[in-house]
Amino acid sequence: MSILAYNGGAMVAMKGENCVSIATDRRFGIQAQTIATNFEKVFQMGPHLYVGLPGLATDTQTVMEKLRFRKNLYELKENRLMSPKVFAAMLSNLLYEKRFGPFFVEPVVAGLMPKTYEPYICNMDLIGCINPPNDFVVGGTASAQLYGMCEALWEPNLGPEDLFETTSQALINAFDRDAISGWGATVYIIEKDKVTIKNLKTRMD
Amino acid sequence: MASERYSFSLTTFSPSGKLVQIEYALAAVAAGAPSVGIKASNGVVIATENKHKSILYDEHSVHKVEMITKHIGMIYSGMGPDYRLLVKQARKMAQQYYLVYQEPIPTVQLVQRVAAVMQEYTQSGGVRPFGVSLLICGWDSDRPYLFQCDPSGAYFAWKATAMGKNYINGKTFLEKRYSEDLELDDAVHTAILTLKESFEGQMTADNIEVGICDASGFRRLDPSHVKDYLANIP
Amino acid sequence: MFATENAYYPDYSTKPIQHSFSPYADNGGSVVAIAGDDFVVVGADTRLSAGFSIYTREQNKLFPLSNTTVLGCSGCWCDTLTLTRILKSRMQMYHQEHNKVMSTTACAQMLSTMLYYKRFFPYYISNILVGLDNEGKGCIYSYDPIGHCEKTTYRAGGSAGALLQPLLDNQIGQKNLTKVSAESITQEKALAILKDVFISAAERDIYTGDNVMINIITKDGIKEDNFELRKD
Repeated sequence: MSILAYNGGAMVAMKGENCVSIATDRRFGIQAQTIATNFEKVFQMGPHLYVGLPGLATDTQTVMEKLRFRKNLYELKENRLMSPKVFAAMLSNLLYEKRFGPFFVEPVVAGLMPKTYEPYICNMDLIGCINPPNDFVVGGTASAQLYGMCEALWEPNLGPEDLFETTSQALINAFDRDAISGWGATVYIIEKDKVTIKNLKTRMD
Repeated sequence: MASERYSFSLTTFSPSGKLVQIEYALAAVAAGAPSVGIKASNGVVIATENKHKSILYDEHSVHKVEMITKHIGMIYSGMGPDYRLLVKQARKMAQQYYLVYQEPIPTVQLVQRVAAVMQEYTQSGGVRPFGVSLLICGWDSDRPYLFQCDPSGAYFAWKATAMGKNYINGKTFLEKRYSEDLELDDAVHTAILTLKESFEGQMTADNIEVGICDASGFRRLDPSHVKDYLANIP
Repeated sequence: MFATENAYYPDYSTKPIQHSFSPYADNGGSVVAIAGDDFVVVGADTRLSAGFSIYTREQNKLFPLSNTTVLGCSGCWCDTLTLTRILKSRMQMYHQEHNKVMSTTACAQMLSTMLYYKRFFPYYISNILVGLDNEGKGCIYSYDPIGHCEKTTYRAGGSAGALLQPLLDNQIGQKNLTKVSAESITQEKALAILKDVFISAAERDIYTGDNVMINIITKDGIKEDNFELRKD
């Protein structure tokens, strides 16, 4: 089995009207055995910037530390916030540096651009090929299920409440059909002047 | 090995606390061709003398005004070869930044990085400080920028300044002429006038070089364009 | 030294070459079935493909076995042809021996046995058998390639099965919903959902597309329907 599917996990991000969402499951397992149900793989990287790192759990944490290191240096050097677009480019660059011995993560970036508050989402493969669509991105072991859910549920110009409902339903129903994702979910709704974080109860089997 | 004898830094403190090597470098700059830079409300101009010792010299082949990226340009006073090395490094740093962040390098960032290189040459072994001062102009975040970089690695943000031979007179002249709401066209005019202050002989479109930078990016003016500006000067 | 040279000049290699033959092909395709109280609808896309090439855009993958039973197949097309041919003859033999048409439930059991009979050289097919049971209620049986059988009320199978099954869980099974309606699904709603899920599948699964063939099975017989999907 692929190293990317060693720990399991599901991730989705969606664009809405002046808001974005990013959501993930909370399982940490070793193959079929569930170890913990409070594992974090979405990280805040700025007031309106979040990154999700589904994949091999050790690389999730290592890549997060490396990203925080580079992002902090950038923000000190340039005395300004890092935009989601620049963050994605930097992450892509970081991953491609390890082109022939990659980190086993499939990152998802979600945020609002500074000043304009324009929604931005993207995902990339484990060596940093960026995909910035206008609707939604998915990642992790339940990506096929998520594609099916999102393709049917997503619609343009969703408000924050509707975006939350759409994202949650897409994620939960998708990971309920994946044996190594689930065990609770966290949904982040990022708006101009607030970020709402909700922990969802889901079936635990 | 013989080279090991010089692998210590040549820039060392004198008993009075001065780094004379840097002062010598600044002297080389002060003896170099004059250059000026002026920030206007809608852009920034940099200009320098490009006088040739012989009429046999082929003008407009080697330039003193150089583009670093689409929105940043550079000129210098001092030693040409040292300048070209810095231009090469600056261009490389700008592209490296773009490669990592997929965003053009902010002028401030480029200046800081070029200044860091210049500083490194004051503390490294086996090298000497650069014999140039740079004027770096740029446009980003919807506003113009003008910086001076010295051999010591010090850098300054100017509204307008002059460097090289007679720079004190140049600066005095600019202090009298400068105003905040200058338009780019007027700034070019003022820059040429400032050069003319200390210019020996006839100023033509072939012995000065002008670069301008605004929202549309950086460009070097061609001689025909410079000629139009010169026509408006008494 | 020669070993590296032979890498560049395979014609001059003196080593034996191992060839292999794979008896299976994945020809893609998806099947979706939804059952109601007095009907069952089943749809299959009409694309037949292998890797990046499309063999045909109009291949029907639904096989009526009787007036109340339909089998939907996706996977290895040659296995589908063989299996459905044998099934057809088994249906006929049953009819002649027992002088009646085989029921959907009997058919479902027979299919399981037939698949398990080839336990060690299976038919590489994702089968979904639909029909009306003895009470006239819609029913769905889904199979793995070696005959494991599960009775359900909705099922997605084939190349886009993973994409569509959670969607059906949500929209028909009413999973993870707070407001659950007690009413059973109508034929119109089942058809609408069936079409929607195929449109979604065609967006992301390259092996699903072109057209959807739909069979609507009621006590009055089998009605056919067809609608277009994206063709790229």
